[in-house]
Formats: sequence, C-alpha cells, structure tokens
Amino acid sequence: MDIIACIKRVPDTSEADAIKIDGSQRDIQKSGLAFKINDWDEYALEAAVQIKEKLGGTLTAVTVGHQEWNDILRRALAMGADTSIRIDRDVASEDPHIVALILKTVIQRLPHDLVLFGAQSEDFGSGQLGAMVAEMLGIPHATLVVSLEAGENKVHISRELEAGTLESYMIGLPALLTIHTGINQPRYISLGGIKRAMKEELQVMSLNDLGLSVDMLVPMMKLERLELPLQGKGAELITGTPEEAAEQLAKTLKGAGIF
Amino acid sequence: MTLLDYKYADTIHRCFRCGYCKFPVNWMDVNNCPAYARFRMETYSCGGRLWLIRAWLSGEIDWSNHLAEILYSCTACKNCEVKCPLRFNVDILNMIIAAKSEMVESGRIPSSVKEFLENIQRQGNPYGHSRVKRGEWMEGTEIEPYQGHDLLYYVGCVGSYDDRAQEVARMLGKVLQKARVSFGVLGNDENCDGNEVSKLGEETLFEMLVEENVAQFKKLGIQKVVTLSPHSYNAMKNDYPRFNGSFDVMHYTQLLKSLISDGRLDVSAGFDAVVTYHDPCFLGRWNNEYEAARNVITAIPGIQLIEMERNRDSTLCCGGGGGNFYIDLLGGSERSPARIRAREAHAIGARILAVACPNCLTMFEDAVKAEGLEEELVVRDVSEIVAEACGIM
Amino acid sequence: MSSIFVMAEHRNQALADISLQMLSKGRQLADQAQTELLAVVIAKDTTGYAEEVAKWADRVIAVKNDRLEEPLAEPYQKILALLTKERRPKIVLMGHTSLAMDLAPPLSVELEVPLATDCTDISVQNGDVIVTRSIHNGKVNAIYSFAPCNTVIITGRVGEFPIEEGNRHGQIEEIDFPLEEEFSYKKFEGYVAQEVRGVDITQAEVLVSVGRGIKEKENIEMAQQLAEALGGEVSCSRPVVDYGWLPSERQVGLSGKTVKPKLYLAIAVSGAFQHVVGMKSAKMTVAINKDAGAPIFKVADFGIVDDLFKIVPILIKKIAELKDR
Repeated sequence: MDIIACIKRVPDTSEADAIKIDGSQRDIQKSGLAFKINDWDEYALEAAVQIKEKLGGTLTAVTVGHQEWNDILRRALAMGADTSIRIDRDVASEDPHIVALILKTVIQRLPHDLVLFGAQSEDFGSGQLGAMVAEMLGIPHATLVVSLEAGENKVHISRELEAGTLESYMIGLPALLTIHTGINQPRYISLGGIKRAMKEELQVMSLNDLGLSVDMLVPMMKLERLELPLQGKGAELITGTPEEAAEQLAKTLKGAGIF
Repeated sequence: MTLLDYKYADTIHRCFRCGYCKFPVNWMDVNNCPAYARFRMETYSCGGRLWLIRAWLSGEIDWSNHLAEILYSCTACKNCEVKCPLRFNVDILNMIIAAKSEMVESGRIPSSVKEFLENIQRQGNPYGHSRVKRGEWMEGTEIEPYQGHDLLYYVGCVGSYDDRAQEVARMLGKVLQKARVSFGVLGNDENCDGNEVSKLGEETLFEMLVEENVAQFKKLGIQKVVTLSPHSYNAMKNDYPRFNGSFDVMHYTQLLKSLISDGRLDVSAGFDAVVTYHDPCFLGRWNNEYEAARNVITAIPGIQLIEMERNRDSTLCCGGGGGNFYIDLLGGSERSPARIRAREAHAIGARILAVACPNCLTMFEDAVKAEGLEEELVVRDVSEIVAEACGIM
Repeated sequence: MSSIFVMAEHRNQALADISLQMLSKGRQLADQAQTELLAVVIAKDTTGYAEEVAKWADRVIAVKNDRLEEPLAEPYQKILALLTKERRPKIVLMGHTSLAMDLAPPLSVELEVPLATDCTDISVQNGDVIVTRSIHNGKVNAIYSFAPCNTVIITGRVGEFPIEEGNRHGQIEEIDFPLEEEFSYKKFEGYVAQEVRGVDITQAEVLVSVGRGIKEKENIEMAQQLAEALGGEVSCSRPVVDYGWLPSERQVGLSGKTVKPKLYLAIAVSGAFQHVVGMKSAKMTVAINKDAGAPIFKVADFGIVDDLFKIVPILIKKIAELKDR
C-alpha cells in the first residue's frame, strides 16, 4: 500500500508561560522556543508506519516549509518513512487553502492509496487542511479518526463525535484521513534513529518544480494582527509553602461545604 | 546484532537466583534493591530482570508495556553489582541497561521515559522547561558566568530547575564564595550531563550530549570541574574521557573536605544537631567515595554523626536514579524506597537527614512529608549544613 | 450585505446546543448588518427542528430526504453548496463540530470561498467580516479579515456564544432534496456509544481531575485518594485517556463528558479549551498546576501554582485533619 503522511513543524508553546508578540504584530517571538513535530501528525505517522509494517508498501512523508523543517522529516524517516519530500516555502501562517493546493499538487504526482494528516495543528488549529486536500484530489475523506484498520482496497475507521460517541465507516481507497490523538502510542524516536536518517537524502522541491507560481497562491484571508487575550479575573491564587497552601485550600474547601 | 545479542546473550543465563542482588547488610531481610523493596516481587530484582530479559531474547515472552516498566524501574543503584557473588557481576547492571537500549531503539518505552528523553532532546533538561530559564536559579546571587576561573561549577538539570534543589545550588555557590574559590557557571548555556540518559539506554543521545559538553568545556578552556550532583560527577569522571573529555572532576563534598582541612573554610562556629548521612549511589557504590561528606560533617563542632545500619555500599537507593526522580516508577506507596529510608533515619534518632545529591534531596523531601515526619526530621544538603556552620545561612 | 445562513445540527432527536448558540450569534449579526438570517435544517424529517430554528431565523430552509438519516457529511456538502450558489449569502455559519470538520473544508474548496474555523468572535465592521481565532494553546488571539469575496464560511467555537431567546416566527420553506449520488465509496456502519462500565462522572458532586502532568499511571492513585477524601470521583483530560491511563468514560471535555459538580479540582490540567468546555459550569473550580501561565487559572476560582506532587499528599492529610475536628 502506498501511504503519504503530511506533517507540520510547530513551536512548543505548551510549557511556555510568556508568549510575546513581535514587532510586526503578526507573529510571536520565536527566540527561546523549541520546535517539534505537530502532536497530531505524530499519531498519523505512527498509524502510517503500523499499516506499512502490517501490509507492506511505501510511506512518504511530505511537508511544506523552510530548511529548518528538515528536522521533522528526519524524524519521520527515523520512525519508518521510506522517503521524504519538502516543498521549500515558508507557509507556517498562510491560508490553509494555499498549503492545500501545494500539497495536492505534490500528492497527485505520487502513487497514493492512503493519505494521512493530523486532525489539526497545535499552533493555529484550523483543522482544515486534510479535508481540503481530499476535496481537491477528488478522493473520499474522514476527519477525527480514532481507530483505523486498513485492508487492500478499503479502510474501516471510526471517527469521534461529541460526547465520546463514535461513528464507524468503511471507505474505499484511495482515501484521505485526518488522525486524532489517542489512536495509538507513537513510538519514541531515538537519536540513533535520527542519525541514521540523517544519511538519507531528503527531496526538496520548489514551487516551480510543481508547476506552481506565486501568483497562483492567492490568499483569501488577511491576518490583521495578533493580540494577547484579556486576563480577566482569573483564579485567586493561594500562595505560601506547600504546607501553607494545602492547609489554606483545605480550609477553603471545608468553608465551602465541600466536605 | 544488538549489544544485548553480541555481548550478553551467552552469559545472561548465569544468574543463579541466589538473591544476593537484594542483600543489604544482614539476612534480616533482602530488601536493598529499591524496586524489590517497593514491589516485593522477584520480577523487580536484578535476577528477576535478567531472567525476563533472557526470556525476551529467546522469544519466550514478547515486549509489553509491563516488561518495559519492569526494566525502567531499575534505578541503576549498583547494589546488585556490588553484592552479586558471581564473576559476571560486572556485567549485570549493564545487561539491564542494554535491554533498555533495545527498547529505546525500537521506540517502545513507557510514555514518561519518552517524555523525559524528548524533553532533553528539545530543551536540554528532562522537565521540558525552556533553556532560557536554566540560569534563573542564580538570580540574587553574585555568581559569575565562567570566564577562565579556576573551576567550573556544574549544576545539572535538577539543581537548575527544581525549586528545592535550586536552593542548594545557590547555597553551595555562597559557600564557595565564602571560601574565595575562583569559580564560574554556565547558566543558560549549561546542557544536560547525560548520566540518566545513559542509564535509560539512549546511547546515541548520551554520546551527542557528551560530545557537545566536551567541545563546550574545551572551547572555554575548562580544566577543573566541581559538580553539585553525583550523577554529573559519575558521567564526567568515568564516561567523558572516552570522548576525549578528560577533566579534573570533583564532587563538591570532596572540594569542601579539602577547603575545610586547608583552613580556607571556617566551620568552627558549628551548631548542635544529630545528623545521619545518606550515601548517594552515584558517589558511593559507583565511585567508592564514602568518606568525603563524612569528613565534612564531622569537622563541624556540635554535630553528632550517627549511621543508619545500611550505610556506605549498603545504602538503600532513594529511588531517584535511572530517571526515576522524574518518571517515578517507584513512587506512590509507603514501600517507596525514599519513604523506607526516611523512616530508617527517623528511627535511629536523627533530626537531620543529610544528602549530597539533588535527586536524593527531592526524593526525601517528598518522602518525609508523605510520612508526616516534618516536625521531627529535616532533609538538608551537606552544603546547607556547612553554610549554617560558617554562619552564611 | 446579503443574507446570513446558519446551518443547524441535530443530535439525539434534538437541536444541538451549539446550533442554538450559532443561531443567537447569527441573529445578532443579521440585526447589526440589517439583513436576513436564514436557517438551514437538514434531516430525514425536519419537523420540530424547523419550528425551533424559526424562533431565530427570518426564513428556514428545511431540507428532507430519507437518506439523510445517515450522518455522512457528503450530502450536507451537496445541499449547502447548492443553496449557497443559489442564494449567495454573505456568511455561512455553523458550529465547529465534528460534522463541520468533515464538511466545511471541502465545502469551501467546492465553492472557492474562504473558511475560518473555530472562531471565538465574529463581527461585521463597515460591511467587512472580522473574526477572532485562539491560537498557540490559547495564549494568543489572531484577528482576521477576508479578501473581497461574495461568501465566507465561518465555524464558531462551541460554548463561546451565549444562547439568546428567540422570539420570531421565521417562514419555513420545505425542500425534498433529490440525492442522486450514491456516495458508495463511503459506507456508514453504525454508531458506537460510550459504555459506562464503572463510573458516571456526570453524577459526581466532586471531581478530582488529572491531566497530562500527572506523568505516570501510578500517580493517579494519589488523585483517587484525594477524591475519596472529598467524597468524589476521578476524572481526566484527554491526554490521560490517549495514554491509556484512564478509560474514556472518565474524560471531561468536548469529546468527553460535560460535568457540573460542586467542586472541580483540576490537577496538572493545562485547561485547554477542549477540556474547559466540559467543566465550565462547575460551581467551584480549583486548579493546581506548576505552570503559572496555564489557561486553567483563567477559569478557576482558586489556584495553587506549585508542584502537585508536593501539594496533593499534604492536602489529603489536611483534609483528614479538618474532618477529625
């Protein structure tokens, strides 16, 4: 089976307590931030590798980004991808449909039975890319997939609805799925694996190579500015040593009649 | 062929199941393996793990999350290696680490170990805190960035980021300042020493960390290093030379000992206390250094040093090694080794449990609280005891 | 400005709350822009739904077809595409739901119009549509406008827009929609509902909720002890279920349960929106988290910024002590 997994590089903002907006007002300050592969995409890659291990075939990892994005492709290779392709263009904050157009152009040149995306990205979280690419390619799709069983010509999936209910589908291939977290346990990628992957060649393509030009990529949305959310009242913080704080909290809970 | 296949497959069956790997000081119990003390199942002793690894190698059992947790609950304390009576004892801990390596390469490790290692890959510390905050512990002190000083004071990840350990990092700095030691630190530029990474089986990541650190030290012209943590001491003294990094490495208790005996540090003010000293595994069993801290403590007037029955090479590991100060596979029970040890210290009448390792410090702080002993037993780092004796506190 | 569409979703024989929220917002926008609000209801049988949405809408288009019993997004896409091309609304609104994730992006491609998803604010300023999206783990807001176009599709964040009472009587237009296509490449096989095996957390008065920061499955025992001390149950956020540490029936949030306990004690829970949406109605919320910037502190009543491994064991003891007195 020929699988394509599309992945994104995102800044790690989960632990960062002070995100600052830069001078342009249209981006965050990146210094001091570490970068990683998008969480959802890791699950998608793991799902792809598991299918490949079971059914054989090829796995290609694809991304659209600048040179520093090579590191996520290395990780994909270390995880089990056979080849990787980077389309050289800085699209981190571009309209999803522009990124979708670029990806669609790459994918349609490659053999593809199954195309996997993460359900959304940690930074912008639009959750649009995968389903857009499916429509552009003219193949069926399902988003928020939490279980996946691949056969020769079809996949059985279930996708997540509100309140934990699942819908199951049988979808004929070729198809595109966007993968939700929790579908599997992504394997650890050792540095040894990454080093071995360093030796492999990364394919880099330009827009020209794809027959695309910049004026074909017309934005439909405009980022006016970024703002920090209003703080609001927020929690009343109980301070002190752990001993003092725990005591204070226990008293507060008792006072509120919790116990 | 993996290391396990190549080096150890032929000898791993030699474990006799005699149980000496759990031996403390006498046969009243066999509980000196911290994981065995916690779970009380053979599986969790060195011998048990060797047999499981053997079964895994021969295909009798498959990989499972449970097997991974059993292996990763090993804190690499070396009690087994020191107590095992067979000639292959020099290899037994390495066998467990080699088995962990196999799991690392296959990517199938417990999720907390995955996080630990990924955090180090990304941010140079297992907590995943930003690199740019690594030097925050120094705020308010006048500790200088290393620039040709006599000594590099290497703090390590726990000392840099853990609240309680940061206090010790600062206090040791003050003591060194009082003794007019010429030293500097790396601050935000400091990177993980790699000791835990190596004991977790991530060989290539360890190599990368060591190579980076060696290159950094050489570039700065560093020749002498004093470490806060015995873990850093162990890696830099025993592993870094393999990577062309031969530095003159001391653990801070060794430095304090010579500062006191040279008269550069005056502890004569002293104070009264009944203290027991917990031997850290990576200073004691791993590096045969048992006396430096004791010399320091007994040099202080007023302090009465009493010994727990299990001391020196029979110390009971606090349970924080092998990444367990973070992944915490031995926690959550009154049988957790740190809690057992806290009870032991209390039972012999000590009021201060002295430690010389930031991992032990954090493990015991939590344990003393969990045991409800805060009124009767305090955990103090040796540097904090010295600071009080010099009138710094 | 031409009309505003709202596509209303239904679940378990009732209109979804999110649709009432979007209808309320749509009504507000339509009033501001002095234009018509058109509600679209799509179902095998739209009776009941159409009358309900008519309380907010000026007109209702009720689209019926037997094959709409199945939840595939594809027929919805066909219907909305046709209606949008026919009636050319300025804005097509819907909730940011599981259905919308399947439906809205392909719809935007088919219509060649922009799509802004999971928006926390929508406004019309001088005829321009402006939306706000929450990015970077809820730590930054991004404000967008649109390039000149006839229609924009917007999905709104669940729970963001309050439900305002509707008191209109919109005109209902029923359409029997011919669905020729078979969609044979995608076959619906059924729903899998949540089994409640052990605990129904929606019934608990007190919930001690653990997040990713609990670090290991074994540590959940500590949360269990705390829950017992408070007479409650343990619940969790999504990552805990992803890692397999707790069953999904204990998950609070958008894809889990919505709970309304007397006390929601969040331990090492970051407070991502998808989680918060499930516990916003708790009477009292307390958060314990090492990260001072964690979004949970914005919704909590009380908070302790410290290491849960230090606080929780002591808290359990203090509660026991206070009980004894």
